Order: sequence, then C-alpha cells, then structure tokens
Amino acid sequence: MEIKAIGCEPLQLKRMHVKDGHTLKVYEKTGGYKSLKKALEMTQDDIINEVKASALRGRGGAGFPTGMKWSFVPRQSPKPKYVVCNADESEPGTFKDRYLLERDPHALIEGMLIAAFALGSECCYIYFRGEYNYLIDIMDKAIEEARKANLVGKNILGSGFNCEVFTQTGAGAYICGEETALLSSLEGYRGHPRMKPPFPAIEGLYACPTVVNNVETLTAVPQIIEMGGENWRNLGTEKSGGTKLWSVSGHVKKPGVYELPMGYSNLEKFILEDCGGMLHDDKKLKACIPGGSSVYIMNAEQIIGKNVLMDYEGLVAAGSSVGSGGFIVMDETVDVMESTKNLIEFYKHESCGWCTPCREGTDWLNKILKRISEGNGRPEDAQLMLDICDNIEGKSFCPLGDAAAWPVQSAIKRFPEDFKNWLFRNTNGN
Amino acid sequence: MSEELIKVTINGTEYEVEKGRRLIEVCNENGCNIPSFCYYSDLQVQASCRMCLVRIDKMPKLQTSCTINCTDGMVVTTNTEEIAKAQRAMSEFLLANHPLDCPVCDRGGECDLQETVMSAGNVEERFHEPKNSFAEKFLSPMVANDQQRCILCKRCTRVCDEWMGETVIEAGNRGVNTVIGTYGGWLNCSQCGNCVEVCPTGTLLDAVYRHETRPWELERTVSTDVYSSDGMQLSIGSRGGKVHRIVARDRYVNGLNGEFLDVKARFGHEFVNHPDRIKTPLIRYKKGGKAIPATWDDAISFVADKLKDSKNVGVVASPRLTNESIFTLKRLATEALNSDNYAVSDAYNLAPFFDNLSAPLCNHKEIRYAKTILLIGGEPEEEQTYTAKQMRQAVRNGGAKLIIVNDTPINLIKSATQFVHVNKGSYEAFVLALLDKKNDKVSAKKLGVDKAELEKVRVTIAATEGDFIIMFGGDLSAEAQAVLANSAEKFASDKCKVLYHPLPLYNNSVGANDVMQGKKSLGEVLKESKSFIIGGSLQDANILEEKDFVVAFELFETETTDKADVILPAASFAEVDGTYTNNAGNVQRVRKAIDFVNQSKPDWLIADAIAKELGVDFGYQSSASAVFKAIADSVPAYEGLRYPALKNESKPVQAKHTIHSAKDLSNEIKALTERVEALAGETNKNNETPRIGHKLHRLTTLTSRTPQFHLLANGNPKPENLHVSPLKQFDTDGKAVAAS
Repeated sequence: MEIKAIGCEPLQLKRMHVKDGHTLKVYEKTGGYKSLKKALEMTQDDIINEVKASALRGRGGAGFPTGMKWSFVPRQSPKPKYVVCNADESEPGTFKDRYLLERDPHALIEGMLIAAFALGSECCYIYFRGEYNYLIDIMDKAIEEARKANLVGKNILGSGFNCEVFTQTGAGAYICGEETALLSSLEGYRGHPRMKPPFPAIEGLYACPTVVNNVETLTAVPQIIEMGGENWRNLGTEKSGGTKLWSVSGHVKKPGVYELPMGYSNLEKFILEDCGGMLHDDKKLKACIPGGSSVYIMNAEQIIGKNVLMDYEGLVAAGSSVGSGGFIVMDETVDVMESTKNLIEFYKHESCGWCTPCREGTDWLNKILKRISEGNGRPEDAQLMLDICDNIEGKSFCPLGDAAAWPVQSAIKRFPEDFKNWLFRNTNGN
Repeated sequence: MSEELIKVTINGTEYEVEKGRRLIEVCNENGCNIPSFCYYSDLQVQASCRMCLVRIDKMPKLQTSCTINCTDGMVVTTNTEEIAKAQRAMSEFLLANHPLDCPVCDRGGECDLQETVMSAGNVEERFHEPKNSFAEKFLSPMVANDQQRCILCKRCTRVCDEWMGETVIEAGNRGVNTVIGTYGGWLNCSQCGNCVEVCPTGTLLDAVYRHETRPWELERTVSTDVYSSDGMQLSIGSRGGKVHRIVARDRYVNGLNGEFLDVKARFGHEFVNHPDRIKTPLIRYKKGGKAIPATWDDAISFVADKLKDSKNVGVVASPRLTNESIFTLKRLATEALNSDNYAVSDAYNLAPFFDNLSAPLCNHKEIRYAKTILLIGGEPEEEQTYTAKQMRQAVRNGGAKLIIVNDTPINLIKSATQFVHVNKGSYEAFVLALLDKKNDKVSAKKLGVDKAELEKVRVTIAATEGDFIIMFGGDLSAEAQAVLANSAEKFASDKCKVLYHPLPLYNNSVGANDVMQGKKSLGEVLKESKSFIIGGSLQDANILEEKDFVVAFELFETETTDKADVILPAASFAEVDGTYTNNAGNVQRVRKAIDFVNQSKPDWLIADAIAKELGVDFGYQSSASAVFKAIADSVPAYEGLRYPALKNESKPVQAKHTIHSAKDLSNEIKALTERVEALAGETNKNNETPRIGHKLHRLTTLTSRTPQFHLLANGNPKPENLHVSPLKQFDTDGKAVAAS
C-alpha cells in the first residue's frame, strides 16, 4: 500500500506518515489551524475569492468549481446556513477520503470551520457512509480535542465566531453520496434525491442554504488559505488547480493513494512507472477506469503513447473523466463483459427506485448481462443494451442513472471483442 | 398564482399564459398532450416517472415538464422524434416488470398505463427476461393490492399523507425491489380509498368491486354523495339495475371534490341493492300486529282515508332526502292536510344561523386558499371529510393558520396552529368571548383555558390578510349560532374577508332548512300531533308509541317502521332525480342511476300520490324538474334555478342565501351570557384522540351487513343486529344522535 505524492510536495498527504498525525498536538505542530487563524482575520468575501482564485474543483466527482458553489449561498438570508461534508465515499474504486479521515481529521475540521466562517454558518455536519463507522470515533475525538482548544464551539479563538461540528452516519446506501439524497438522509428521511432546483445552496438541509463538499475539497481549503489561491492553483493547471488524490487499485504492483498535481503528465507513465508497473510482468495493460466506476472505461489504445494529461480537461479529451479519482487498472486477464456485469449488479442494487429509467433500466441491464454470462447471449443484445443506456442517460432524476449507463456504453464500444465472444458464442446451443 | 401574462412558445405556436404555471398543464390545455403518471396537480411534484420529458431551448437535457414553471419567452418542443423515443423508452421501462395480462386486471379499460402505451402505438416488446413478481393480497377489506402492477408513481403515498394526513401507506425496500406497503401489512386507517382512486394502474383496487364487472360495461351516472354535507360529486357505476361501484375518477366526474371521496361515499353503497330493502307497501291493520303487504293503490287510499279527517297532521322529513322530497312533504302538510306542523328530523337546526347570516358561505375551494380558519367544535375528518382535506392542505400548502376549538383533541389538531382545548359543552362560552373581549374572564373560566389563549386567537384573526373562515360543528345553541352568524363585521377589514362554513351532519341539512322553513322545532311537532307522515326515520322512535296513526317512507325496517301503521318503500338516492344542497350552499344534482329497486318510489312521488288522493294536485306531472321549479319559485335563495342550470357538476351553483346586515341581537346575547354563566365550568375534557373511521366500522352505521364491513366491525358483538338505515347517524361516542 503506497501513500505518497509524486511530482509535488505532499499537501493532502502531509501527515499520512507522521506519527499521531490525527491528534491536535501533532496537527498544530505541523502547521495546523494556522489557516483558520488567518481566515478569521479575513473578510468572508476575501476567503471566497481566494477559493475562487485557486480553481479548486469539487473532488467528489462532478468537479464543480468550489468557489462558485460557495458564492451561490445567500449569506444575507435570515435562515441558518449549513456546511455539510460528504464523507459518504462509496464510489467503487475510491478510498482516498478514508485515509484523510483516519489520519488527518483536523484538516477536515479546519477546512469546515473556514468554510463555515466564509458562509456565515454556525453548524457543520460530517456525513459518513455506514461502513465508515469506525472513523467516527476518530473524528469525534478530534472534534472534542478541538472543542477543548476553543477551535470548535462558542467564540472560536476569541473571534466571536461560533460553530459546531457534528458527525452522522448513513446506513450504507450509495445514493446517499448524491448531495440531495445525503441531505434527505441527514434529515432522517429515506435517502431519495431531491429535485433541483432549488439547489442546496439556496434550499438544502432543512430548507436552508447549505454547501455540500467532499472531504478532499474541504481539506484543500486550509492549504489554499495558507499559501494563497494563486499559488495553490499554480501547482496544477489553469482550469484545474492544485493537487488531487488518486486511489489506485487493480493489477499494478503498488496500489495505494497517490497525490499528483493536476495536469500530471502522463497517464501511461503513472500506471507503468509510478505505480510500479503491471502486477504480472507478462500481462499487458488492457483497461483502465480512471475516476471511479461511474466514468467511461478506457482501453489500452487510448492510453499507450497518447500522452494523456491527468486533469479534468485532459481526461475528458482522452475519452473519460477524473470523477472521484478511483483509479482501477485491469490487465489482459480481465473479461470486460464480466467486469461490467459486476458493476451493473452494483448499480442495480444501489438504485434508489425513485425514477423509472434508473430503477427499471439497471434491472434490465443486469438481467441481460446475467443471461449473457450464463451463456445465453444473443447477437442483438449489444445493440439493445446500448439503446437501454441511451434511454437512461440524461433522463434519470439524479446522476446515478447516467453513472450506470456510461460504463456499459463505453465497455461495449471500446471492448467489442469481449462482448462478441459472449454474444456469438452461445454455449447453450440455442 | 400571478395575474401577469407571459408568452410561451409550444411547438412553434405562441401562447399567452399566467406566469409561473406548470408547463405540463399549459401543454395539455393547448392540445399538446403530454403523458404522465406521477404528476397530480393537487399533490407535491414528484418527477419520478419521467414520462413528461420535453425539450426546452437553452436547457442542456430533456426536462420534465411537471417540474418546470413557465417563464417569459420559453420555447418548448414536445413533438420531435427525440421526445417520442424518450416517452417510448419510459413506457418500455415501466412495462418491463409489469404483467401484460390486462384482460384479468380490474383496471383494464380505464388504466392510465394501458392507455398511454396503446395510444403511442409501436408496442413491440423487447424485454424477454423473467419478470419480478409479487403475490397479490388484500391490504384491507376495502383495498386489494397487486404489487407487481405498481409503477411506483407514489400518488397513493402522497394522497395518504397530503390529503388524509394519515401516512399509513409508504414505499419500502429499494431500487427495483421497491414496493408500496403498509406498516404491519394491513391498512390501519379510515379506509377512504383515495389511494385506489388515484392509482394509475391496477395496483390498488377496490376490493368491494373486485372482479365484479368490466368498467366499460358499467353505466355511469354523475350524482351527489348521500352521506356527508360536503356534497361530493361521484360517479355511480351500475349495470342491470345494480350499483356496482362508486368512483370519483376525473374521466367520469369533475366535481368540486376532484377525485376525493371518503369511505362512506365510496364503499357504502351496498344498501341500494340490499336484499333487506322493503319490497312492497305494508299496512299494519292492527296496532302491534303484523305488517301485511299491499298494493300501492290500496296503501295510498288507506293512508288518505285515515288522514282525510285528521286535524293537525305532523309531517317530518329526513335531512337526507332530496330538496324535492322535503318540499313536497311540506306542501303535503300545508296544502293537502292544512297543517303547520312540519319539521326536519335534524337535531341540529340551522335556521338561526341562516336568519342572521352576515357574510357569504364559503365554497370548498376558498377553504383551500384561506388564510385563517377557525373551527369551533365538530369533527370534520369524520363527518365532512372533504372540508377536512381542504383545511389540511390550506395549512400545509398555503400556510393558513388553523385555530381549533374543541373538547376533544381531534386528529386535525396535528395541522392546527393553535388548539384551544375546552371543557365539554362550553363552545358557547367561546362564542361569547369571540364576541367581546370583556367576556374573556368569565369565558376562560367556563372553557377551562387560559385567558391568554383567547387573546392569541383574537390576535391571529386580526392579523389575517385574506379569507377568514368561521366553521362550526353541531353543538352550538340557537343563540350562539345567531350571534356567531351575525358577527362578520367584527372581523372584516380591507384585507380580510369573512366567510362562513357550517358543518351540519347530513347531506342535505342546508337544503332541508332552505326548503322546509319550519316554524316549529321537531320536538314541538312530535308532541303536538297525533298522526304523522314521516319521510325517513326518527333517531328516537319511542314517541311514536302513543300516536294514533303513523305513515313512514323507508328503505329498510327500522325502529320507526316498527311503530308505523303504513310503511311505504322509498327509493334510495341512486334511483331518484333531485337535488341536494351542501354546506357551501351549492345546489347539486342527484341523478337516477338505476331503476327503482322492488316497488319503491321517490319520497316526493309518494307524497304527491297521497295529496292527489286527498284531492290536491301539485301539478308536478311526475317530473322532478317540475318540483324543482316549484322550489325555485317559492324559496328566494333558489330563485331562477332550473335543472339545466345545474347540469355541469364542475361549476356548482351556489344558492343565494340572504346576507343580513348587523342586527340588534341584545336579547340573544343576554340569553347566551346567562347560559354561559350557568355553565358549571368544571374541568371536563376528552383527552383521547378518536380514531377516524372507527365509529363507522365499530358501529356500522350503514353497511354493517356487507361482508367487508363485517370484517371491520371489531368490537361489535352482533353487527347483524344493528338496523341498516341511511337515516341513522352516530355521534363520536357511538350513541345514536337524539332527535331533539
């Protein structure tokens, strides 16, 4: 398990290898809570402008500019405002937030406090996925430490700014990582997504202005305040600032969490050199899912010799996207039909059932892929599945539908041989 | 809704619409039909079926038209290949796990899903996988559930929550395994059946009507509810002289209540074709003897013979009868029998209210959009269900302030802004306090509440900007009614309009008061006469023991018919033409759906026959519309009304009740003050919230003999011993409401 930064100083991963990095003492010794002190002396607009200048984009998957999101919040509204941290990290292949929460909880608290101060909020929630239950203890202890040091609670550091941080766990539903479903769940309802508009920035938690940010987004905030938005942005590219964590898994020698500057060059080098190369030396790279299971799967031709830049624009140009940075590498031993079947089973299981295309579409795809894997494939199934995906994509209530459709579409289009094998070789002879 | 008009372009044609209207409604009104399952205009938007996708310029993806409010300059396309494909895709998804066996489904023929799919054409099926299936079951004796037909539009759960405030039906599980279910597998609610009504497929079904007939074989007759005073419009589905079901589906009827009905209106129709209906006229030649069947001619001439020389014959009409019947009974008394001894058999006399009415009656739509509602006594959720639904939605969707004054914490207090929990029988003290601040001290003492609570009520009323509606149940004395009805001026201002909404018990209480205009109370009439003609039954028939001669028009044998000398079989509401007047003053049609059951006749025709035998011809020529014309000519509030004017149930006509200016009511106020001061004032409050519908099921007001209600009749040792009569009404304690 590798946890390291490549091509830049470790920022997010600064305390990963520091002993007791999760304690307040060590955190402060390594420069923690400096940014909060600095932020408390800044104006709210200045903080938001710094974050805008940093070109920080949401690390949860959608990549929406964080500064822009914050600026949508009506700060003069008489309603209370909320900052919610989305720690429902359930995208298959993604595990970066887990290490941040486990080994650097104070960075998240500091980021949330800065965000809360900038948005005029006095209440923050951290929503953990159900399986991250064990991390809640760590976080609760950290919050308690911070409270004792007057970093959380009333009149923080004598600035007159009050802010509480609470932790809450979900029950393990993937859909609750979608921001509006997360808010429903946090309110105690079924984890169903809500209609947008109104966007959470206007009417979120308890119908009050709410900002929902990923863990990695919020832990980046103290860095931005510390080094200035411009400087932070310059670590990465013009449109994708700063550094990004990648959770590497699959057929590589050194899987782990890697911190790369945005725009890292290039994808091929990253897989074959930085991650230690393919797991088995005699097996070639076949496929790569760079951003968690919901993005387009890439084949070797799209990677080898193509100089793919690892940032939002670069990966889109190469035919995929950054997503949440759940980097899955597959070698020749993988049958993409079967891996797709696995994924669809996941989406079918996790579809919340609210809207027709996602509920019925994922079920249908799952049934088809199951039938194919049992040896009863039909040649027309590929076209049928593409059509089903097309009927789900862009028509579902929330992005889960799209997320289920994209992997199937890309798998069929980019690995036709794998599917041909199954569809034209009907093992049951009918 | 804003008055401002904006321009919206739909498929190249420009339309002017009110700003902020829902796009799907604008499209449907203008002929661009957009299919939808989850959208329901009276419920929260759900946007889950994704059928109503349209293309809007400058928006990246297809948009659900049910979530879009019209803005100026919006350009919408609904008829492209892309939209057709999307809609086809959604119906394909919906049908994927939906059984394709419409011929065995009760909803086949009136199913939204079936119609949408079939009207789109191109119904080739591509889904060849095994379908997910669930077993069929009954959620209650009223509601059958076929889960695999569910398309998860969640209309039922929203209706249950938003209309009924009950939330007994909810979605369980997740994803494709989502099912609509109940807590504990049994519908533990008032059994209103609105979930059945709004279900677009055959998932929730009327268990009473299960597998009885196909919808297209039914004759449909639009009529009016015979139970509650809300006057809900419904469609009677009948075939071969039998009433099979009652629905309010908007494709059949479009009344003030939309698709809303309650348990009595929807399921309580089995009495119409009940085998226990009285079959022929019966004559009891000897007191206490057996009632012997007779022909109509014999019975009528027997009655006329007996009454010919009687003086001061008493005529009593049930407030459940049509206006026509009540009016004819009155004419029978005044013109044929020369008697002024006539009354309505309703303990709750509305005359003092209407004699002093100082502001208009409100209709049900105005309740929905009211800003402040004051409810004194009554239990609308049980008796006036549609009013209760409108009140709940006024609070929930319109932010109305609801003040409830009651001796019982009724279910509706969940929606209330303020609940004034008063002592039993002390509503008059509240009216007195409302009248004048100086009465607060004595009233608060008698009511058993803090003075501050009364002040709070006053502050809320004074702050009203919009409609202020005063509702009151059946427990107010004549003086209190008069004072309350005359006090509109006290609350009205430039910003606040005062409206009244009485909550009488019976479907035609208001109409009975209008057309009967009795000078005497029921008690006086019963005491003074020796001979009686009674349309319907009395709540307390014991007084008839000592009378000389009693004629009763009834559907069933009741305590009243037991003591009657002549029993004439009357026709039920499904067999007659006529009108009812509801608590909003709407005069609404009752229409003949089936032929007379057995030898029954409408009450007015029986009264007319007796009058003819006595030598008086009212000139009706067997036509209900002629009776109604006579009513319109003699009752000022109904002036100029004719049946054709009442034809359209979607535009109910309000009777023009006279609005009186403020009167000098010092006598009434004095009497009221004295009564209030005489109240004991000891703490005497109900603390238990009554369960809605329970009294119906436990005491089985009407339909106890139907197998469904038998099952629900828990706690009643011998439901079959209860008399079945549409004229019986029970109070919240389960006792029959006394006649006077």
